[in-house]
Amino acid sequence: MSEAGADDDRKKHRVHFDRHTPEYRDQFEEITHDLHAKCPIAWTDTHGGHWVASGNREVFELARAAEFLSNDHDVKGERRGYKGITIPSPPRSREQQGGFLEMDPPGQRHYRQALNPYLSPAAVARWIPFVDEVVRACLDEKIEEGRIDFVDDLANVVPAVLTLAMLGIPLKDWTVYNEPAHASVYTPPHSPDMARVLELSRNMGRSLYRSLLEIREHPRPGLVDALVHAEIHGRRPSDEELVGVLALLVGGGFDTTTALTAHALEWLSQHPGERDRLSRERDTLLDSATEEFLRFFTPAPGDGRTISADCEIAGQRFEEGERLWLSWAMANRDPAVFPDPDRVHLDRKGNRHSSFGLGIHRCIGSNVARTVFKRMVTAVLDRIPDYRCDPDGTVHYETIGVIQGMRHLPAAFTPGRRLGPSLDETLETLQKACDEQRLAEPVTTRPGRAKTER
Amino acid sequence: MKVRVDPERCQGHTLCAMIAPKAFQLDDIDGHSSAVGEEVPADQEEQVREAAHSCPERAIQLF
Ligand code: HEM
Ligand code: SF4
Repeated sequence: MSEAGADDDRKKHRVHFDRHTPEYRDQFEEITHDLHAKCPIAWTDTHGGHWVASGNREVFELARAAEFLSNDHDVKGERRGYKGITIPSPPRSREQQGGFLEMDPPGQRHYRQALNPYLSPAAVARWIPFVDEVVRACLDEKIEEGRIDFVDDLANVVPAVLTLAMLGIPLKDWTVYNEPAHASVYTPPHSPDMARVLELSRNMGRSLYRSLLEIREHPRPGLVDALVHAEIHGRRPSDEELVGVLALLVGGGFDTTTALTAHALEWLSQHPGERDRLSRERDTLLDSATEEFLRFFTPAPGDGRTISADCEIAGQRFEEGERLWLSWAMANRDPAVFPDPDRVHLDRKGNRHSSFGLGIHRCIGSNVARTVFKRMVTAVLDRIPDYRCDPDGTVHYETIGVIQGMRHLPAAFTPGRRLGPSLDETLETLQKACDEQRLAEPVTTRPGRAKTER
Repeated sequence: MKVRVDPERCQGHTLCAMIAPKAFQLDDIDGHSSAVGEEVPADQEEQVREAAHSCPERAIQLF
């Protein structure tokens, strides 16, 4: 067979697949099951041509085949010119390595080893009293009014404040990071607003760089400090590389957790019976419900890879240099693993979802995400149990190519009583707690929980 | 029934310890799992099976 013929044979399952269109969001279930039935690994010519893995078994086997896949984003053309995890990659002028998510081992592993003691389940559990105080203050700000926007007033705030606390950056700066972290995800590349969003993002980058310099000069515990001292490949990485890692921690932590929380709260408003049940049976149901919301809404719908050596995986032959899209979202709807995949079952068993990825790049922030999500949702169930979301005011992201997110989720409820000081005042108190108790130390140094007054 | 966590496969998703908290322990530093004991007590068998079935990396071996 000629080479072109062999190629056609390899790529015999061809589809038109463009996850950056609104149609993909609107017809997600039809497209997903069509792909599952016909071609769980398919070739598409969109965005320069790439493979799309949608079947659960296929995504599982591919994601874990670290020896044949690369996450490398070789921005400076020093290695093999690979394009990282975004398909299509951003214009050259805006290309930037996305921290260790766009690196391969051993460097990627060295970063994880440096950060794990801040993000492990035991490390994150220490922050629960802190998280509860931020959640309390957010709800207090709105509880007398009887109206809240769950995105703007709660789900954007709590993950942002906690991430900054863990980094060791002043809490009051959360607004500097908040808008760029979300707007850079939901603003389409051609939008007239893009110039402004890019400027906000550059401002955030400068701010992260300043924190790095400052903490190197005047050490303060936290993830930034861990990075300042990290040895990667036996050397200290460049500041540019470290700013990329900090941007990854901010980008990874803000928008995804917001997206999960907003979707879950919207769904619970649409299913008040299930909401009451979750509240009543939370001791047994909250864990499985959290995993089910993760599966069903898959806030980070997928990630790209480059094939790093000719190989055959899950019955498909791949060639070095080809691009591949691993769809966590579609793998999560595979009926072969999830009976009744398009319905939410709060008590689903055997929920082997891939919403935090699979294999060596598995989300290092998953314990943060779960904890923050659970504390926000339970506080809402306790304090404003009869909330109703307003569909007319709800704004979903136009496309789900990057994050399946929401911009606004307004809701009304029976007003209640404040329990404590305002958000600003609370952040000041919590800043003191961070400084005095050195809350952002790794679990190896400070095993105990945060103490918050009141 | 016996249980083992394959350290090469486990990526610390923590679902096992959520489902069968008595049977699995998570490392404080990296969250990776190991079995509390190889022999599974009879009253934990069901939970441990469910944990094995839920592990995203299929790292839990029953034998
Ligand atoms: C519900 C919330 C979240 C979801 C759905 C999510 C999803 C993901 C996924 C799917 C990956 C794997 C990407 C890949 O393999 O290409 C990942 C990696 C990552 N996530 Fe998350 N994430 C969430 C929250 C967080 C939080 C709170 C943080 C920070 C504290 C974070 C930081 C990271 C980092 C640093 C990586 C890269 C890990 C590596 O390359 O080794 N994420 N996340
Ligand atoms: S569920 Fe699997 S991958 Fe996760 S900690 Fe347990 S054994 Fe490890």
